[in-house]
Amino acid sequence: MNVIETNNLTKYYGKIKGVENLTFSVKRGEIFGFLGPNGAGKTTTIRTLLGYLYPTRGTATIFGKNIIEKNVEIKKEVAYIPGDLNIYGHLTGKQFLDYFASLRNREMVLFDELLDIFEVPLQRKVKGYSKGMKQKLGIIQAFMDDPEMVIMDEPTSGLDPLLQQKFYDFILKQKKRGRTMFFSSHVLAEVDKICDRIGIIRNGELIALEDVDTLKHKRGKKIRVKIKEKPELFKGPKDSKIKDGWIEFIASDSIDSWIKKLSKFTIIDLEINDFSLEDIFIHYYEGQT
Amino acid sequence: MNDVFRFKIAIQTMKNSWKITIIVSLLFMVMAAMYAGMFPQFEESLLEMMESGFGDSFNYFPHADQMATYIGFLTIELYAIFWLLILAIILGFISASSITKEIEGKTIDLLMSNPVSRKQIVFEKFIGLIPMVLIVNFATMIAVIGITAAINESLNLGYLLLVHLISIPYFLAVISIGILISTFLDEKMKASITMIAILVGMYILYSMSLMSSGNEFLGYISINKYFDPFDVLKYGDVDIGGVFVYIIIITVCLILSMLYFEHRDIEVT
Repeated sequence: MNVIETNNLTKYYGKIKGVENLTFSVKRGEIFGFLGPNGAGKTTTIRTLLGYLYPTRGTATIFGKNIIEKNVEIKKEVAYIPGDLNIYGHLTGKQFLDYFASLRNREMVLFDELLDIFEVPLQRKVKGYSKGMKQKLGIIQAFMDDPEMVIMDEPTSGLDPLLQQKFYDFILKQKKRGRTMFFSSHVLAEVDKICDRIGIIRNGELIALEDVDTLKHKRGKKIRVKIKEKPELFKGPKDSKIKDGWIEFIASDSIDSWIKKLSKFTIIDLEINDFSLEDIFIHYYEGQT
Repeated sequence: MNDVFRFKIAIQTMKNSWKITIIVSLLFMVMAAMYAGMFPQFEESLLEMMESGFGDSFNYFPHADQMATYIGFLTIELYAIFWLLILAIILGFISASSITKEIEGKTIDLLMSNPVSRKQIVFEKFIGLIPMVLIVNFATMIAVIGITAAINESLNLGYLLLVHLISIPYFLAVISIGILISTFLDEKMKASITMIAILVGMYILYSMSLMSSGNEFLGYISINKYFDPFDVLKYGDVDIGGVFVYIIIITVCLILSMLYFEHRDIEVT
């Protein structure tokens, strides 16, 4: 079953394009990475899905419910961590969470678990919180009543690497329990690590929608090799490059034939890597102004 | 439906405003005591002034000729300016920033991620400000009763209560106008200044309407036209039509606020 389904979702701010003709779906129980550089339309997409912005054209449903007509019902099962997170400064962390718990009006089943992972000074006023503490509080409020889906707009910004790891572990655990995550980011490493599928958005348009594994597989392996002989003597594929004495090329099918060819040379150093998402990303963004 | 009537946003709005409620209440209690308390000192010179015809130059103040009576003095010094204008400005300032503040401060993003409708946010913000009106209103009334007894003047307490009862729809009308502005504008300061401009503008229009009979029509577009504390305090004379005007203002402003807020985009500011 699809949790999110959009059909030609379009948002214009007057004449300025926010996003155009987005058609994609997010499946139940997956972590969907929504990738794109700053200003590509990630936040516009999220705000439209949540009903903060009215679509200019097109439709979308969440859990089969229309995002405009059934907005309140949808929010019973969907939580949100905004990118530019702002929390009432005059409340203490506890007062804020109590307030939101009262608005959700159901049991905060994950509250204790979350508080163990993401410690925050509950008795202190939020205006005294650091950026990281606020981010943790934002995570706690989103997950505390164990919603079916959490939409996150660059949720790891402001978290130190240790906390980022704890956060990844936590959402992977949530995924195992059947929860869905919609995750926008421009940090490739994290998407690479945790997402099942990604959508790439550029200039307001969706330019790729793929499984992370297929995407990597499709792109083959990256081979870098240094030989004692002149690098020019080795005949690689057309797009192979020579850089600082290293021969660099991509093996799109099997690496076996290349290794056999290389065996005729004296190899000083050899690296074989998966094509990283970053390489794919750069590939997709090539030509963007 | 169950969720709609839990008024959690309203309760939070009340919690957020208890400090300012106490401050404004104390301010108006002190103000009431101060002005009423001044009356015995001024009574004689005021009587002289009235006899000399000096009062005529203040005819844009309603009932300026009654300045030398306790009720007239109380009405002009306390109710006409501090109550109907200054308190309206304070409450208008607070209500006009109520939703704007959340948009400008971006806290609206998280608030709206809860299962609450936008209409509900508007309505509960309004409800949440009602206790402030009631507390300031009756605290001031008690201060007036106290000081009147202290200086041995007399007031019809029933009429005084009536003044403060009619003050409720008057100030709720002010708040509803403020709420309407707060759904339209994204900047707190702009919203509050717009609100003050509207209140002062209406007050000036009403004053102008009193100056000459040719200007009388100007008064009708002012909320000050529909409530005359002097008539109520002196004669128990209530403008029922005026109370209805306030109720209509409240209803229309709230409906417009809810409809507009429901359909606007909440952009990243």
